[in-house]
Amino acid sequence: MTLTFVLNGHPCTAEAPAHWTVLDLLRDGLSLTGTKDGCGEGVCGTCTVLADGRPIRACLVLAAHVRGRALVTVEGLETDGRLDPLQTAFAERGAAQCGFCTPGMLLAAKALLTEDPAPTAQEVREALSGNLCRCTGYAKIVEAVLAAAPGRS
Amino acid sequence: MRLRPFELVEPETLADALAALARLDGEARLIAGGTALVPMLRLGLVKPERLISLHRLPALAEIRTDDGTLRLGAIATLADIERARAVREGWPLLAEAVHRVASPAIRTSGTIGGNLCYAEAASDPAPALLCLEAEVRVAGPAGERSVPVTGFFRGFYETALEPGELVTAVRIPAVPAGALSGYVKFTPRSAEDKPLVGVAALITLDTAGRCAEARIGLAGAAPTPIRAHRAEMVLRGEAPSDTTVRAAAEAAAREAEPLSDLMGSADYRREMIRVWVRRLLVAMRDGTHRAEPNQD
Repeated sequence: MTLTFVLNGHPCTAEAPAHWTVLDLLRDGLSLTGTKDGCGEGVCGTCTVLADGRPIRACLVLAAHVRGRALVTVEGLETDGRLDPLQTAFAERGAAQCGFCTPGMLLAAKALLTEDPAPTAQEVREALSGNLCRCTGYAKIVEAVLAAAPGRS
Repeated sequence: MRLRPFELVEPETLADALAALARLDGEARLIAGGTALVPMLRLGLVKPERLISLHRLPALAEIRTDDGTLRLGAIATLADIERARAVREGWPLLAEAVHRVASPAIRTSGTIGGNLCYAEAASDPAPALLCLEAEVRVAGPAGERSVPVTGFFRGFYETALEPGELVTAVRIPAVPAGALSGYVKFTPRSAEDKPLVGVAALITLDTAGRCAEARIGLAGAAPTPIRAHRAEMVLRGEAPSDTTVRAAAEAAAREAEPLSDLMGSADYRREMIRVWVRRLLVAMRDGTHRAEPNQD
């Protein structure tokens, strides 16, 4: 199966067997290992990427279903070598411990801030409700997302 | 872990989708968002040789209103439904219940038709659709037909779909003028879990303050989503006083036939039905029900 889509802002053509998910395509087909393989059943959120700006579970979506869509992975968050404000806020506020959940957290947060540049703490928690962190808790993650929200200052 | 290999059929017309389903019946499964089917494939609970994907049928994703009726295409995503202004304004009960499904990324992919066809007893949208007296549009080898959603769930993970049939849309009539409605989801574990019990309700009051219309939909209360008919009968014609609401909640708990599973026992579910039917009706009556954020 030949798939044509937009990946991190650039046109992309890739080959994938019909039974591959987006996660298989990213990690094994395109060697983009920033997207993590966690539970494989849509519960943990580590494989979250954006499709047309909205968060999806890469482990649940068939690769065939990304034809013509625009995907963003954690590798695509930076612009011209500059980290996204979310990435900077996560780093500055210590919103990561082992880091395994971080790519998914960043993309779930990116989707929220794109749709709502000034969310409340409750809205941040809701947007991240499908992303599990097993290290350290969520307080610093929520603080970092609020700090990076362009509509809050 | 990779999925077991399968062939993917991607029809571009409804006619081709039905033809593929007829040709491959018994060995093919339909896939829309995949949020229910892909975990089942991964666990080997289903091992189809072929999947028929509906994602190239954009007409099936349409959300529109016709003469006051809401029409949701079968592959309209839960994320699009909860955001649609027509739904939020005209069918707020549906927007509220859909918003409580899992987490945002699941709602991006999950579809209303998929939710119905999965026929999970602990579904958030199903009790709302039952209260809203939705109608399921079905296409198959014998043409199209409509199934009231009250007759769509036939048993544990079983629907009224016949071989070769698929859901094309859900049609929802206008909500009665002045209706009060609400949905509560109770999960003893995390907020993005499926409900241990979910309660949707819709009532209208006459000029004397008595319930003219009373509809209650329950998730997690039986092998399928159900209407709580006996509880509704307790309410109809009565003012929703504390005593009446308590009696209705008691009736709902008695008529429920919940299952026991890892989330909770049948007895616990029955108690929670009693508690949450009462709390929801009181909050609707008092104007204190708020569409809850997805966090408990």
